[in-house]
Amino acid sequence: MARAREKQLSQVVSELGLDKQNKGTIGRLLNHGGIGQVEEDADGRMKIQVRIPEDELTYSPSITVMPHAGELEIEFFNDDTNTHCAQVPSNGDYQWIWLPNGSRGKVTVTLDGPGYYWYGSNVGNDEGRGLTGAIVVMGDVPEEARLDRPAQPRP
Amino acid sequence: MTQEYIDAPPPVALGNLSATTHNAPPVTKDLTYERILDARSEPHNWITYYGAYDGKRFSPLDQINADNVKRLSPAFVFQSGSQGIHAGPSTYAFEAAPLIVDGVMFVSGWDGFLWCLDARNGQTLWQYKHAIPFDVSLCCGNVNRGVAVAEGKVFLATLNAHVVALNAENGEKIWDTTHGDVRAGESCTVAPLVVKDMVIVGSSGGEFGVRGHLDAYNIDTGERVWRCYMVPKPGEPGSETWPEDGEAWQRGGGNCWVTGTYDPELNLLYWGTGNPAPDFDGEVRPGDNLFTDSVVAVNPDDGTIQWHYQYTPHDLWDYDSNMENILFEQDGRKLLGHFDKNGYFFVLDRTNGELVRVTPFVDRINWGEIDSEGNVTPSIYPEKEGEEVHFFPGPAGAKEWTHACFNPETELFYCPVQDTGSTIARRRREFKEGMPYWGAHVIVDSEDMKGYVSAFSASTSEEVWRWETDLPMCASVLTTAGNLVFAGEPTGYLNALDARTGEHLWRFQCGSGHHSSPTTYSVDGRQYIAVPVGWGAWVEGFLPGMMGGPHGSAIFVFALPEE
Repeated sequence: MARAREKQLSQVVSELGLDKQNKGTIGRLLNHGGIGQVEEDADGRMKIQVRIPEDELTYSPSITVMPHAGELEIEFFNDDTNTHCAQVPSNGDYQWIWLPNGSRGKVTVTLDGPGYYWYGSNVGNDEGRGLTGAIVVMGDVPEEARLDRPAQPRP
Repeated sequence: MTQEYIDAPPPVALGNLSATTHNAPPVTKDLTYERILDARSEPHNWITYYGAYDGKRFSPLDQINADNVKRLSPAFVFQSGSQGIHAGPSTYAFEAAPLIVDGVMFVSGWDGFLWCLDARNGQTLWQYKHAIPFDVSLCCGNVNRGVAVAEGKVFLATLNAHVVALNAENGEKIWDTTHGDVRAGESCTVAPLVVKDMVIVGSSGGEFGVRGHLDAYNIDTGERVWRCYMVPKPGEPGSETWPEDGEAWQRGGGNCWVTGTYDPELNLLYWGTGNPAPDFDGEVRPGDNLFTDSVVAVNPDDGTIQWHYQYTPHDLWDYDSNMENILFEQDGRKLLGHFDKNGYFFVLDRTNGELVRVTPFVDRINWGEIDSEGNVTPSIYPEKEGEEVHFFPGPAGAKEWTHACFNPETELFYCPVQDTGSTIARRRREFKEGMPYWGAHVIVDSEDMKGYVSAFSASTSEEVWRWETDLPMCASVLTTAGNLVFAGEPTGYLNALDARTGEHLWRFQCGSGHHSSPTTYSVDGRQYIAVPVGWGAWVEGFLPGMMGGPHGSAIFVFALPEE
């Protein structure tokens, strides 16, 4: 049912032209550039490739899913005909990379717990036009950090 | 056709693209526990959250004094602003108390920021940014109240419930320990406290039905030494104050989100605890609900509770008691003073928790009454489902978490007061982990409110003077040997008052409301007043009449003009 609703949502967004630049409105609705799950090596290192397609002003996928906290390597490909960048949250400081037209570059970040984290191209209003991505860290905190109580109901 | 890509320039840490110098002098290398014990013997510094373990927020510095404070001017301003899309984009606020060690300032901001600054001019020496999830559970905004320093390290509790230790010379991480469960609604906003070889950190999350706790970590390794839960399990001391065979204790609240004080002679931490959960629906948790809304005296060596005093038994008004317990002596007695959200000023014997005096400190109290023996009689509280009641003080309290102070030279306490009511109706809800668990709807008054800074006698608790304002006072106050009290207003004004008379001596408009803890220090013989300014946090709770007030993100640092 939920998947059907998501499919319906994507279809409506597309029909309204909200998944394109300057179609339904000025920009593109945030985070409608697809969803991707990271690849995880045997040593637990996680990787994903993210592209910026021409004239779409979006990261594709715009949602990156990590199964757990840890280190993530993102390889960006800028297929657009304009220069963009990526400011990605990481423990210690944001990692920031220029992405000139037709370039590729890797960023490695560390995220230490569940939740979702935004990144974006922090020039002009790239972020507002659609160049905003989410990194979702799934899972729970370590057992030793949890509350000493029986399992509780969740929504 | 295969696309030929050029190599993008290598990534950099964003802080490298700034005027940050990336290193600080090793001022904290020999900052030992012994020095923190005697913190006020080095008045040029402010090396622990309250300036000293006693919580007085008093500085012996007197270069800036009642005679010359009218010449006080900004020496420099540090600003940050916010970056990208972050948690609580409308609620981030500057709540910290800057620490200063030999000319170097360590101060935390919202969303995992920590800055190390040259305390003479605001030059950033290094910065640390912890990655905070956008969806972290925050009842009261994207805030942090400060850091601790010792043995070459800076300790920060993060919004996603981690505790990190950083190298104080360059901000590089030394250890990172998971302190709480963000999936359960826990977070961290407290300024840690170093005691002996441990860093003490409390939990946040009382509005999400967690089980509050206080933890100690080894400062060198980050390993947990002990954890003390503030809601007992069945069979433990205090469990008789919770329903038998029920689930209420599992979600009982009692969080520890404000820094405690410490008496090294008695070897006791005095830590305030937060509201029971759900905040306003007491019918699901009959009993006094220990150790919520209490001060607990905790042995720092093993985390055991030695005694407690509950300021609001069976709370139905969200009257957390996290706020400071100020340690002072009177006629040879070891006492503590505490201004509670419930509108009463308590003086306790801190050797055993016996009540010495209790007196109201705000004009309007109608939720109930506490008599001179400490007996509590509730009057107005949410009881029937959906039926609104109106009471004073509102859930932000007659004093919020922001701190009072005590001047040993005047022997007066100074308290920022919020005189505001609220309308509340019980709205029962089923507990679900990670979801807000208030059990009510809440509308805090936006009219008919006032504030003041009041001075109270340490010997009698009587009000000695009052400086009144149109809006509630929502920032910590600071007192100095210069016969001064500094108090920030929600309107942005920072004020200096005569500590003995309350006479208004000076003010400066900082451009955004005050909700932080100013500190003072000196470098090369020049005294400074450091004031983080940035309106936000739980404004809908403590002053909804200023929901539209300007946000900000600056530290104003004042000094007398150089000759």
